[in-house]
Amino acid sequence: MVIRSGSALLALIALCIPAFGQVQRTADGKPDFNGVWQALNSANWDLQSHAAEAGPFSALGAIGAVAPGEGVVEAGAIPYLPAAARQKQVNFEKRWTDDPELRCFMPGVPRANYMPYPFRIAQGSGPGKNTIMIVYEYADAVRTIRMGNPGKSPADSWMGWSVGHWDGDTLVVDVTSFNDQTWFDRAGDFHSDALHVVERYTPRSPDTILYEATIEDPKVFSRPWKIAMPLYRHVEANAHLMEFQCIPFAEDILYGHLRRQAANGKGDSR
Amino acid sequence: MTFTGIVAAIGLAAIPALAQNAIPRTAAGHPDLSGVWTNVTITPLERPRNLAGKEFFTPEEAVEYEKHSRETRNKDIRERGTVADVANAYNDFWWDSGTKVVKTLRTSIVVDPPDGRVPALTPERRQQLQAIADAKRKRCAQPGCEVENGGIPGPADGPEDRPLMERCLSFNNATPMLPTAYNNDYEIIETPGFVAIDVEMVHQVRRIPIDGSPHLPASVRQWMGDSRGHWEGDTLVIDTTNFNDKASYRGSDRNLHLIERLTRTDPGTIIYRFTMDDPTAFTKPWTGEIPMVKSEGLLYEYACHEGNRGMTGILSSARADEKRAKAGKNQE
Amino acid sequence: MRTAIAVVVSCIGMLLAVAPASAHHAFAAEFDSKKPVKLRGTVTKMEWINPHSWIHIDVKNADGTVTNWMIECGSPNTLFRRGLTKDSLPAGTEVLVDGYLAKDGGNRANGRDVTLADGHKLFLGSSNPDAEK
Repeated sequence: MVIRSGSALLALIALCIPAFGQVQRTADGKPDFNGVWQALNSANWDLQSHAAEAGPFSALGAIGAVAPGEGVVEAGAIPYLPAAARQKQVNFEKRWTDDPELRCFMPGVPRANYMPYPFRIAQGSGPGKNTIMIVYEYADAVRTIRMGNPGKSPADSWMGWSVGHWDGDTLVVDVTSFNDQTWFDRAGDFHSDALHVVERYTPRSPDTILYEATIEDPKVFSRPWKIAMPLYRHVEANAHLMEFQCIPFAEDILYGHLRRQAANGKGDSR
Repeated sequence: MTFTGIVAAIGLAAIPALAQNAIPRTAAGHPDLSGVWTNVTITPLERPRNLAGKEFFTPEEAVEYEKHSRETRNKDIRERGTVADVANAYNDFWWDSGTKVVKTLRTSIVVDPPDGRVPALTPERRQQLQAIADAKRKRCAQPGCEVENGGIPGPADGPEDRPLMERCLSFNNATPMLPTAYNNDYEIIETPGFVAIDVEMVHQVRRIPIDGSPHLPASVRQWMGDSRGHWEGDTLVIDTTNFNDKASYRGSDRNLHLIERLTRTDPGTIIYRFTMDDPTAFTKPWTGEIPMVKSEGLLYEYACHEGNRGMTGILSSARADEKRAKAGKNQE
Repeated sequence: MRTAIAVVVSCIGMLLAVAPASAHHAFAAEFDSKKPVKLRGTVTKMEWINPHSWIHIDVKNADGTVTNWMIECGSPNTLFRRGLTKDSLPAGTEVLVDGYLAKDGGNRANGRDVTLADGHKLFLGSSNPDAEK
């Protein structure tokens, strides 16, 4: 009995779960989000509820197929304006050629948070407490959340301009100044450069965050709408990001039509 | 990591800033490297030959050197209709390659070997690089080549023929961290167990775990290698290995073992020292030193690959050259 | 410094003596030194993007038609740090572009000199103390 509880205790320590299940805090008393996190759903395939489906290449069989998922959109459907709904349909039909993810382009917000790759939240404290960096394994994308007042964004960007503040134990991030180049998922859900996202990161346990994002874009949607999902901490000892440098994988899509058609033409890009 | 977290939470590790040491410190007691830093400078990597034997400028000499640099790098000096005129398109309005020497007044970034110059490559590495250059020259006897930075024509059959910079894969300024033509900015964020360094060019983010974990296995190679850090007193030491075959700085190869040391010597300065240890490429290891100075500016997104119209332009230029050459032949 | 719009985007040539690196790509790979061009046009938009920003201008041709040209300039990040924003070169501004044509025949040019039509030239080089950060 003693041995069993001893090894249970060791197992707890090994999994880095603090005693009593309390949320870890930084020296400033804020919830400590430092670590490697990942969403566990198929929101990146499609934010709305969807069944499994064949992919574009039969040669990839089950590997290249679309995973099913229950939607993460509160109230079920994304409220497109009529003209935008038609554009969404066009995007969906052309998703195997038009999705910016195919080109290894940065995914924007909130999509970066539910890509099927881990990301690291690097949260400064003490002298560094005004900056939280989120580093994504996918395409080396990065966001820097400014906790003070960084002033106005000078120009649009792929990952937006993130300004954060604490609301009790919830990190609230206001993101603006997006360009119109990203999609929300692989199903063609899209936005304009008027996109405005408000995120809420609320610790629900030491190893999970409740992530909510309210999406507003008067050029595309008839009203703001919201997604919600847990983010899970990678609890294995010393979890790290690796490089997913996908530019070489995307060059053929981008530049293949400009290749020299020589007899000894290079087929694959490195 | 957990232990530190618990200790930090209880506040036992809170170390107040000591009166005589104005460097901000984290709760764990290490100098806090967080912030935006720049290493822009006109000090060259290698000591100019006419300064042989001279390791430091005097303050007066530094002023002279800076004045001379401003005059010779004046953007008005150009000749219309030349390739060089096209090649260097911007004036200082767009560039940020610096106006000052490093504050230590060194005459070169290289501090070892003592002559301030990068050691010779090994004969094998020299041969390898020569073979690559020869193959390029041979391919460029045919039309369809386009000039690279440095003015030498290179093949352009496809994107993989082009330099890494043109593909937005790397700018040779992240590992090691050295100044480039502009956007010489780095944002560091230091947390217990992990340091991130966002290198503005080309939005490469260096990930440095400080958790005692070992490097990736030798079979796993990455563009920025694999970095692991640890503290030696007040110095953050970053050890990087596992580079892939394409990553190269000044002739280094996949066997590069890069050791970097960051020491915040005062609130406004980090002294950055790096050693390039690569016995299959260099005849001996070499070390450089450059200050990183605290910047009041912000880093901005540098979405290089997303806006890379230059690659499209270069490849289509090569195809146009080939077409013209073919048309020219058909008229003979 | 919010030195308004008299942004002389004066993309002039430079001698790279000991400079560590050049721009993202060799302009000479894309633009033809034997084909200089002078364009007078109206800005339709400026894309403040990387690795190179682009000024789009409408140029009235001799026959009355209008051609849209793209003028390639530098990375905007240094300009942001100097206080410029995407509103600093508004649509409708008349400009004179002195550059070189793209080798592939497209309506693109290397922005060697871009001057405002009102003759207001503000040379923001490093020798200009106002340009110091």
